[in-house]
Amino acid sequence: MTDPLLSVENLQTYFFTEDGVVQAVDGISFDVMPGELVGLVGESGAGKSVASTSILRLVEDPGRIVGGRVEFKGETLFEIETDDEGTPVENEDATPVETDESLSQQEMRRRIRGREIAIIFQDPMESLNPVYTVGGQLREFIEINRDLGKSAAKTAAIDMLREVGIPEAPARYSDYPHQFSGGMRQRVLIAMALACEPSLIIADEPTTALDVTVEGQILDLVADLQEKYGTAFVWVTHDMGVVAEICDRVNVMYLGEMVEQADVDDLFYDTKHPYTEALLESIPRPDRTVEELNPIAGVMPEAIDPPRGCRFHTRCPDAREACTRIDPDCRVVEDGYSPHRAACIKYDAFGNVGYDASPPLDNETRSGVDVTLTGDGGHQGGDDDE
Amino acid sequence: MGLVRYTTSRVLQAIPVLLGVVTITFVLANAIPGDPVQIMLGPSPSQTQIEAIRARYGLNEPLWVRYVNYVAALLTGDLGQSIYYDVPVTQKILERLPATLLLMLSSYTFAILTAIPLGVISAKRRNKLTDHVSRIVSLIGVSTPSFWIGLMMILIFAFHTNLLPSTNLVMPWADPAGIRGAETRLDVLVMAGQHLLLPMVSLGTLQMAAITRIERSEMLDVLTEEYVKLARAYGVAEQTILRKHAFRNAQLPVITIIGLQLSSAIGGAVLTEVVFEINGMGRLIVDSIARQDYPLIMGTTIVFAFVFVVGVIVTDLSYAYVDPRVSYGEAE
Repeated sequence: MTDPLLSVENLQTYFFTEDGVVQAVDGISFDVMPGELVGLVGESGAGKSVASTSILRLVEDPGRIVGGRVEFKGETLFEIETDDEGTPVENEDATPVETDESLSQQEMRRRIRGREIAIIFQDPMESLNPVYTVGGQLREFIEINRDLGKSAAKTAAIDMLREVGIPEAPARYSDYPHQFSGGMRQRVLIAMALACEPSLIIADEPTTALDVTVEGQILDLVADLQEKYGTAFVWVTHDMGVVAEICDRVNVMYLGEMVEQADVDDLFYDTKHPYTEALLESIPRPDRTVEELNPIAGVMPEAIDPPRGCRFHTRCPDAREACTRIDPDCRVVEDGYSPHRAACIKYDAFGNVGYDASPPLDNETRSGVDVTLTGDGGHQGGDDDE
Repeated sequence: MGLVRYTTSRVLQAIPVLLGVVTITFVLANAIPGDPVQIMLGPSPSQTQIEAIRARYGLNEPLWVRYVNYVAALLTGDLGQSIYYDVPVTQKILERLPATLLLMLSSYTFAILTAIPLGVISAKRRNKLTDHVSRIVSLIGVSTPSFWIGLMMILIFAFHTNLLPSTNLVMPWADPAGIRGAETRLDVLVMAGQHLLLPMVSLGTLQMAAITRIERSEMLDVLTEEYVKLARAYGVAEQTILRKHAFRNAQLPVITIIGLQLSSAIGGAVLTEVVFEINGMGRLIVDSIARQDYPLIMGTTIVFAFVFVVGVIVTDLSYAYVDPRVSYGEAE
């Protein structure tokens, strides 16, 4: 197997707000192979966007990367120093220390951002600068990231505008963003990302702000261009339909944690994690009426005070008492063409941690407090017995 | 091309505004209690004297006839005859206007040249020492009346230390022969600069403070925009982001504030001219109000209004220049 293009290990990004620490991304790991289209899925607030800005090290105050490491093409973009027990090392200011291999912000800017990893943001209406022409912005980024002169960069810009399906590209080059429709602006942003010829493009919900027909066109366009240029994509979305259409592999996030990773087919036809299952159940389909839809109960808790144990247990139909105690990592639960991982203790990969023996949670409270109290003592005995 | 059409339409829109100003000024000037004729002739003049004067200045006509006559004369550039000075109002204004324009222009230049870098640096070094200092300075600046600043500076720089002159403004275009202590054109320019320094700072401080505050907050605002984040994600250097990607967008509200400050600059000019004994429009308008010199009151007001309207048009045009959406009729 080839080496991954991008490898994220145990990434932790917290936001230090006045109300407390928000664990927006809490120890996620995933790989992206060269030329692969990988989905990063989850509800709003799951930490998908924070994860993608963390990779480029563009997290803004009060956010900070507090743990983990990101490797790109075998080079360490950053790594937080850990002691022997794996706890991040902090300096006097309680700021996590980066290892010496980590790139400096300046190296990130010169060598990685745009040049190797480009990004497409969610809102095409806000992502272009209203006071400069579309072509000028495109040309500037190409100049910076491909070391081209002005006129060569302009030619490249016009070619790329044509490539993403903007009619009369040479004339449109000198138009301002407000003269483009939403779909056309998103094409411009895709052109921007591709024109810098990066190896990886992070697309942060790029079709969410568009209407469905335009979304379809953009997805087709990306699929075509991805094939042509062989660029790898991390496609951030909350839309399982989009995932099914374009992704090779999928990572599902819930409340800052990775809950399931699998090939797209495995994920849809052999779903392992109850959260993914619930997510798939809630997709509207033509063959089901609204009444038959199964929305996930409750709302996602705040990442400032995540539930103890498995973070999903408060909404999980399969939750048992043990789930309130054990916070599972993402383990291989089934081997396949690529390993299928899930973070749920009902699978054997977690050994016998007492899932089977523990009683189901009270549906009313979901807190499991009472159960935990009674269950705790009885449980340890149970473990020994089995 | 959008810009030409936009300019034309803005200029045409200014005409009814100016007509409105003329009307209001005319009504207000005539609503002031008291009689200028009485002031001219002193106590107990004879009835024939009064009537002769009234006839001479057209004051015996009904109000609406005088209004029509006034507007008609205005169109030919005739602002009437000053009652007190007994010279054409136009002549008096042309005599005084250059000093005021010089004062306003220099204070504006001072304000803009200091405020914009200060605001940008403040935003860039948010919550650092530089930012705190500039915020405190601008807070003091917006809350201190310009005449007080003027008086304090006269005390410090003219009265106690004698570093700078505080009266007898020398115009930079004055004839060296007529100025004591000046031999060449250069001497005159240096002297004019020295003379202008205190009034310029005292009048410009308010504008400077107001512009600094808006510049800072707008820059901070723009720096959180998606397109700034995008530029950062594409490896654009932080300096370039500040100078190019954020700066231009942040200037739109700044331009608005600069334009609006024109009215307070005009008001401030009146006070500054009194404090520094500058013979400009400000003192002219104060004096003519005290003397109930109707034609002169109206003339100076209309000229100030004209300056203001021109300022607003310039503001709008700079807006259109900075933001392409404006001239295309898609202003936000």
